[in-house]
Amino acid sequence: MMGLTGSAGCFDAILPYIVTILLISSIYAIFALGLNLEWGFTGLLNFGHVAFFAIGAYTTVLLNLWGCPLVLSIIAGVALAGFFGFLLGIPTLRLRVDYLAIVTIGFSEVLRFILLNEEWLTRGPFGVYGFERPFQDVIPYQHYNTFLLILYVAILVAIYASLERLMHSPWGRVLKSIREDESVPSALGKNVFWYKIQSLMLGSAIAGLAGVLLAFYLQYVSPATFKPIETFHAWIIIILGGTASNRGTIVGALILWTFFSGTKFISRLVPLESHQMGAFRMIVIGLLLMLLMMYKPEGIFGKKEELALSD
Amino acid sequence: MEILSVKNVKKHFGGVKAVDGCSIRIETGTVMGLIGPNGAGKTTLFNLISGFEKGSGEITFKGMRTDKLPPFKIARCGMVRTFQIPRALSKMTVLENLLLAPKTQHGERIWNVWLRRKSVQMQENTIKEKSREILEFFEISHLEDEYAGALSGGQKKLLEMARAIAIDPSLMMLDEPFAGVNPTLARKITGYIDELREGGMTFFIIEHDIPAITKISDKITVMSEGKVLTEGTPDEIRSNPDVLNVYLGGEG
Repeated sequence: MMGLTGSAGCFDAILPYIVTILLISSIYAIFALGLNLEWGFTGLLNFGHVAFFAIGAYTTVLLNLWGCPLVLSIIAGVALAGFFGFLLGIPTLRLRVDYLAIVTIGFSEVLRFILLNEEWLTRGPFGVYGFERPFQDVIPYQHYNTFLLILYVAILVAIYASLERLMHSPWGRVLKSIREDESVPSALGKNVFWYKIQSLMLGSAIAGLAGVLLAFYLQYVSPATFKPIETFHAWIIIILGGTASNRGTIVGALILWTFFSGTKFISRLVPLESHQMGAFRMIVIGLLLMLLMMYKPEGIFGKKEELALSD
Repeated sequence: MEILSVKNVKKHFGGVKAVDGCSIRIETGTVMGLIGPNGAGKTTLFNLISGFEKGSGEITFKGMRTDKLPPFKIARCGMVRTFQIPRALSKMTVLENLLLAPKTQHGERIWNVWLRRKSVQMQENTIKEKSREILEFFEISHLEDEYAGALSGGQKKLLEMARAIAIDPSLMMLDEPFAGVNPTLARKITGYIDELREGGMTFFIIEHDIPAITKISDKITVMSEGKVLTEGTPDEIRSNPDVLNVYLGGEG
């Protein structure tokens, strides 16, 4: 229990925590926004979203270590993530929904094993560090995270605004119609397959960008950072916030990461060892998801009428 | 002038011969009715023509072979079909359902959303106006902002038809348009079909409501067990003993 005495010092102690929570929330909000485009708006059941997180991060840091200027490395990372979305989509988007889910998770795991085993390329389990970060020579070290926070929030706002504009456009309208029943837009002359590919590419590129931002924050990337659980973090975020609600996705990311970080304080109330705490967190999340599905499946900001899973 | 030609089209599902060698020709600007008992293969024939099923045989639309094309390409050639059980997009509003239909919307290309903002906005306004006119005709303007999932069965049927008209097709294939629609509105729809036919649109209509279909059609095709039983004007069909047999159950 932090006393009122020395409250100014207390604030200084908490501030880095808050910055950290907001930073990670922003990164995961961007990551989840990509998935929301694919699932919430287009109805694509992608369980391999973490693969593009990894492709964005690894491509950028490796290129940069090999001498490529940072800006180009970032562009390449995002573009390659989008391109892999395209490659994945071509054979898989004609599959039935549940098969798509299985194949995509397989894809992300295959990628992770490549990252683990191809040491000559990716440094395997040792991971990659020592790459440049934006403006690292200009911003003093103690303020760097604050700078990143401002930058990431700006990027988040830009992506949010773009996605909102897209979803209210005729292009977004076609996606929404595909989400529900693709025979209808097909019968009306829309090339459904091509729209699905576009959605997957854009969602993957956004995930790739999130990966780049994660790399800059952690200053280190390794295959362990990109396990399937990250995909499910994104799923939890979009379900919690309300699928097909971009606003909800951002709020969901904030809630999830505040919860993850906040459980540090719970340990004073709930006497658990740290390894038990991890399991305890997942239990709480599982319970939360169950309650959500039972009482408010549309999530916090979702609209009941637009629930993708209702039938 | 011929708009649609179907030559010896077949579709088998395992042992079931849903469509077993059908040949039909439809002239531009006419209404062709399609009747027959349940299971005769009428909807399967519609699926084959619109590309949702693939079988054998030749299908030519406006002079082009379409039997190998995917449904969306056939639709772009100017053919639209409605579904027997209406497929209203229930998670979108009634107006949005209609706005989906018109062809060549610039805003449907992702880059135009930013690069041609004004043009996209202008197009949106134009098609909104046209869509509202269509909604008004079908007397469902008051439902404009309702989610289509909240509509009654009959209203969904109307939405289905309204959406088909919004695409401005050359050939409209309607699957049981009068089922579940009250007689007053059915009469109005018949009038609209007549009006559109005057303007050059061609119709191919599956119906079980014999009085309605004989009133509106120029010619009627009768199907039974996957084959074309006979074809002729409504009067010829009405007095054809084979047709009566097939509808009343055959021998005995």
